[in-house]
Amino acid sequence: MTTATLFILLFGGLLLGMPIALALGLSSITTILIFSDDSMASVALKMFEALSEHYTLLAIPFFILSSAFLSTGGVAKRLIRFAIDMVGHIRGGLAMASVMACMLFAAVSGSSPATVAAIGTIVIVGMVKAGYPKEFAAGVITTSGTLGILIPPSIVMLVYAAATEVSAARMFMAGFIPGLMMGLLLMVAIYIVARVKGLPSQPFPGFRPIIRSGASASGGIMLIVVVLGSIYGGIASPTEAAAVSAIYAFLVSVFFYRDMGPLKEQPWRKAGESIGAMLLRNGWIMTWALPRSVNHPEVRKTVLDGARVSIMLLFIIANAMLFAHVLTTERIPHQIAESIVAWGLEPWMFLIVVNILLLIAGNFMEPSAILLIMAPILFPIAMKLGIDPIHLGIIMVVNMEIGMLTPPVGLNLFVTAGITGESMGWVIRSVLPWMLLLLFFLMLITYIPQISLFLPEYFDQLHGYR
Amino acid sequence: MILKKLHQAEEAIISLLLVAMTLLVFVEVVLRFGFGTGLSWGQELTLHLSAWFVLFGISYGLKVGAHINVDALVKLFSPPVQRVLALVAVSLALVYCALFLYGSWVYLEKMYVIGVSMEDLEFKGWMVNWMSEETQELLKIYTDEPLVPLWLAHGMLIVGLVFFSIRLLELLWAVAAGRSAGFGHHDEAEESLHLAEELKEDVIEIDFEHPDQGDSK
Repeated sequence: MTTATLFILLFGGLLLGMPIALALGLSSITTILIFSDDSMASVALKMFEALSEHYTLLAIPFFILSSAFLSTGGVAKRLIRFAIDMVGHIRGGLAMASVMACMLFAAVSGSSPATVAAIGTIVIVGMVKAGYPKEFAAGVITTSGTLGILIPPSIVMLVYAAATEVSAARMFMAGFIPGLMMGLLLMVAIYIVARVKGLPSQPFPGFRPIIRSGASASGGIMLIVVVLGSIYGGIASPTEAAAVSAIYAFLVSVFFYRDMGPLKEQPWRKAGESIGAMLLRNGWIMTWALPRSVNHPEVRKTVLDGARVSIMLLFIIANAMLFAHVLTTERIPHQIAESIVAWGLEPWMFLIVVNILLLIAGNFMEPSAILLIMAPILFPIAMKLGIDPIHLGIIMVVNMEIGMLTPPVGLNLFVTAGITGESMGWVIRSVLPWMLLLLFFLMLITYIPQISLFLPEYFDQLHGYR
Repeated sequence: MILKKLHQAEEAIISLLLVAMTLLVFVEVVLRFGFGTGLSWGQELTLHLSAWFVLFGISYGLKVGAHINVDALVKLFSPPVQRVLALVAVSLALVYCALFLYGSWVYLEKMYVIGVSMEDLEFKGWMVNWMSEETQELLKIYTDEPLVPLWLAHGMLIVGLVFFSIRLLELLWAVAAGRSAGFGHHDEAEESLHLAEELKEDVIEIDFEHPDQGDSK
């Protein structure tokens, strides 16, 4: 009865078009009001505590802020240049370079649609010019854009960590190998297709251009190194690493890359300028720009953009925690778990059910929202069946990746349709072969837990925890 | 005019809260690695800033359509039915606000009457010393250890929800008058396309058109 009320209200609210946060909150509070002895005052307290007692959650606004500063066209261009210099000379290299650029940009920006838009706009046109079929180019980019939520630092992983109280640092460790593996898998598939179809390669640029473009791209790449390095090394918590990366992203985009803010269009070195004059001039303009950048319209807009997304996500999380609280006090997941165990369902069968459920949900909702609703239900069941919580998290994230490619809510599909000017049907057809690859990858991840668990366990040994 | 200033002030407060949180954690990291010390009240303040940031920001989120929803089903209906559904959805959101406002009020009143304070967060002397004893008594600040009273720190519950309700009422009115379609949401995909627009103009200086053709081996 309680369960029915909770879910009918939730899905009723969702289908009516209520914001997800409000649908979660209203269904929970009504259920408490009708069936539970909890007072309204305690519910209000729960709500405030959800926002003020989880230090890990703070990493979410910080990472969103840092990606707002670095998700610019300028960063995308630098990463693409570097990637093309690195692997462009291999057969099918332009497509491989696109995958690599997507992986790097995805790790920096943490957003799949932004990755497809930024990288896709440049490389799809480029690939078509170089003689690749347009469908092939679009499919590769749409698919590799989804890596954004698998390669750490990833906001979706933080959301999972928040919903299940699993360590965010361990999630970030677990996502690293699957992310690289997915990227390599895509590249191998591209190489095979390129061999079969005789796709072109770029001339080898020589080592100096690689070093030069690498240095130019380093502003973005260093962010990944610093964040993951400090978390893997156990030096800083994800929250601290995120705050540092937000400050770092601001400094890089305003002072080093000069993509936004008061120094925009100011070159590091003017033609014919001596080194001394260059250092002096840059020192002067940068000092002068620091106070001005604080109130610069572009900087303000970026901060506000970050704030908007953070508020939306954190508000959903706060309400989802209330929802999870109702689930737990009503012992709903435990009842499901007990009946599942009573049916004799094996863990591997349960994982199939999880995958199917998530793939269906992925057609209708945003990744973070799905995780927040499904994780509190699936997590206790998985625990009962002896599935590792980190492994379950990675499975869920990979499912969410596929969800970004399935209509009607596949965000990446919309973006690709937008940048190529083709119809949704065309984009879906172009993605189909790559989606099969993703499904194969999902199977690997689901049934070989070591792929996800190797790195976190290795770091545990390294730090002497076991 | 006044309204415009208010909107600017709202955006400024939200940005400031976010920046303050970020800087606070950053400073703590610097203090820990650079000087081996920390701020005893740092974590509590950061967490409360984040709660204030969200609670104060939800009404702004409503204004700019940040709160994501599922519109797959609603879109199947004809416009008049959609409008009715939107009215129901907004009304339900108001019920949510009413329930939470009631709960928050009862909770804060209790905290005020008992006089509960925060754990680590203290007022500095100059912040409270100018007040008369009666005012301090009224605010539930204790002179010997001027910890921040809990009702003040958690009071943002009421402020945020009241603003949220006002914006919801505005939305309800707009939907009824046919000026709005309901909780239209900010489309992440559409937003990403601006990035594409920005990039479409400048072609990256790579020679895409003359790749090595055919088998080189």
